[in-house]
Amino acid sequence: MSGTSRRAFLADAAGALAGISLLPRTISMAPIRLAEPVRVGLVGVGRQGRAIITELQKLPDVTIGAVCDTSTSRLSAAQARAPGSRAVEDFRAVLDMEDIPGVIVASPTHLHREIVEAAIAAGRHVYCEAPLAATVEDCLAIATAAAGTSLVLHAGFQARSNPVYQRAHPLVQTELRDIISMGGHFHHKTSWRFPTVDPGMERNANWRLDPEVSSGLVGEVGSHQVDVALWYRENLPVTALGTGGVRFHRDGRVVPDTVHVDLRWPDGTSFHYDATLANSYGGRYEVFHGSNGAIKLADTHGWLFKEVDAPTQGWEVYATRQQFFQDEGIILIADATKLAAQGRLKDGIGLPYPPLYYALADFLRSVTEGTPVACSASDGARSSIVGILANQAVLSGSAVSISIPE
Amino acid sequence: MGTRFELILADQADPGRLRSVGERAIEEIRWCHERFNRYSPSSFVSFLRHSKQGHRVPVDRDTFNLLRLARDICLASDGAFDPSGGRGMSDLDLDEDLSTVTSRRPGVVLDFGGIAKGFALDLAASVLREHGVESAFLHGGTSSAIGIGTPPGKAGWRVTLGGPRSNWSVLLMDEALSVSAAWEDNPNPTRDPRTRTIIPCPRRVAVVGPIATLADAWSTAALVHGERPSGLGSEWYVCFA
Repeated sequence: MSGTSRRAFLADAAGALAGISLLPRTISMAPIRLAEPVRVGLVGVGRQGRAIITELQKLPDVTIGAVCDTSTSRLSAAQARAPGSRAVEDFRAVLDMEDIPGVIVASPTHLHREIVEAAIAAGRHVYCEAPLAATVEDCLAIATAAAGTSLVLHAGFQARSNPVYQRAHPLVQTELRDIISMGGHFHHKTSWRFPTVDPGMERNANWRLDPEVSSGLVGEVGSHQVDVALWYRENLPVTALGTGGVRFHRDGRVVPDTVHVDLRWPDGTSFHYDATLANSYGGRYEVFHGSNGAIKLADTHGWLFKEVDAPTQGWEVYATRQQFFQDEGIILIADATKLAAQGRLKDGIGLPYPPLYYALADFLRSVTEGTPVACSASDGARSSIVGILANQAVLSGSAVSISIPE
Repeated sequence: MGTRFELILADQADPGRLRSVGERAIEEIRWCHERFNRYSPSSFVSFLRHSKQGHRVPVDRDTFNLLRLARDICLASDGAFDPSGGRGMSDLDLDEDLSTVTSRRPGVVLDFGGIAKGFALDLAASVLREHGVESAFLHGGTSSAIGIGTPPGKAGWRVTLGGPRSNWSVLLMDEALSVSAAWEDNPNPTRDPRTRTIIPCPRRVAVVGPIATLADAWSTAALVHGERPSGLGSEWYVCFA
């Protein structure tokens, strides 16, 4: 075997050994195509709604047929961003449009339930932004509504559709060996306050800061990161402990801008979560520590850090590495088997599209092709509820038991 | 856009509200960066490059407006400003009714480096104005700037072109400024998109007018022309320094 062909063989084997072939699709810069064209309606066109419009417009087979919001200024801005769409203020008008089989719900979290239940009753497929709801009762109601239908209900926990996180999923089992601990980190210096032109809309726009309806940092943001742990672990924590407070944004708010949460599993392992709106250092990531190494995931990138006494795989010789002070990480590359075969392994570092793009594409493939739902309503409800209960632990300062009825 | 943007909000208002308005304005700048960054595989520019010949690409109204402005200035400047690098903006069909862009040839590569900073500043400034901000200064990489109103107790936002060869300065009041320059030892020298020849240097031009997007594009065109572009309206001030 020549040197070149041996390298190619080993690089190819790298993918196979790492379980990369389990990935369901090719990571490509080319846009994802659907089996057939589809029209969708978007309910809620605030900040997240805008991001959704941007990503939907990268899917050539998708037409945004309608946009909906109770704010006329947001609605007119959304229609400008999605030309050709119908703009309506009442979500029921979207559900009345016979040519729109699927709706994307990006309204404030506490308003999801009514819209989702009505959409399912109207026979519409639903992508519901995560967390699914702001109360345990509403989460369970959404899961129940989805369970009684053959319609698609996709919960918007994007990690489940993220090729980097899919790539890491089997590695957590095979490479880390015994899980010692897990963690999530969200540091972003921002007010979390949304200015409005109309003072009467101030409270509506700032529902995240309204303790009556907000599930706080750990509910709104942390549930996405907790979902990764629940997905990888395939079981639930039993207890949540938390602390938090307003450390920086002393503008009259009572919803903590800084929280620390511990979720504990029956086997003694825990997921430690830190989130703050007062500091940006470190950004957003999740980390899984095992006796053979650690995996760090940060939205579009992922790394494997191996212990020196962990078995070395042949493919690691050709893996792409990155130095982090005293640690060296192996960059996790989605769809590496195919890229390695083409000698383009480094092209796979990072994702060509934002995670939201893959989540929306997964939803629409489920709608048009019948592919399995990447994040079901029941999975989404579980992660949402854990976030809600963790927020209760933060607010109460005491341990909260986690028990979710099937 | 590979540079630092800064916003100074000088209103006498609730600092918390000003911060949130500023964050909202920065979101617009970030959106522009993600949209028009030719090095990002998920940007609109990359998407257009990989779209099939003849495929109608739907775009939001802001992107459509930028494309139309870029095409119009390309024509008005006799090609001195050309995001297609001289390959022809005319290869793009813009359908206003459908808000689509269609490429007549595959692999169209657009570089909005000569206009995107100004566009981002205009979007950010519109957010500030929409939320009632009356006194602010915004700049991107110090080469594009907008002054909204005046600083407290001053006649305008004073901007000085530094460097050993100039101390030219201007007061901005509800105006935009863009500076383009060609300098020696630039590893990526500015070229005339029509001839691919390198612009004589050193050369520096400042353009002042009502809209940062246009100031940005016209300063590039003026740099290429080496004189005030004939297509530029009388409301614009041009200074070579």
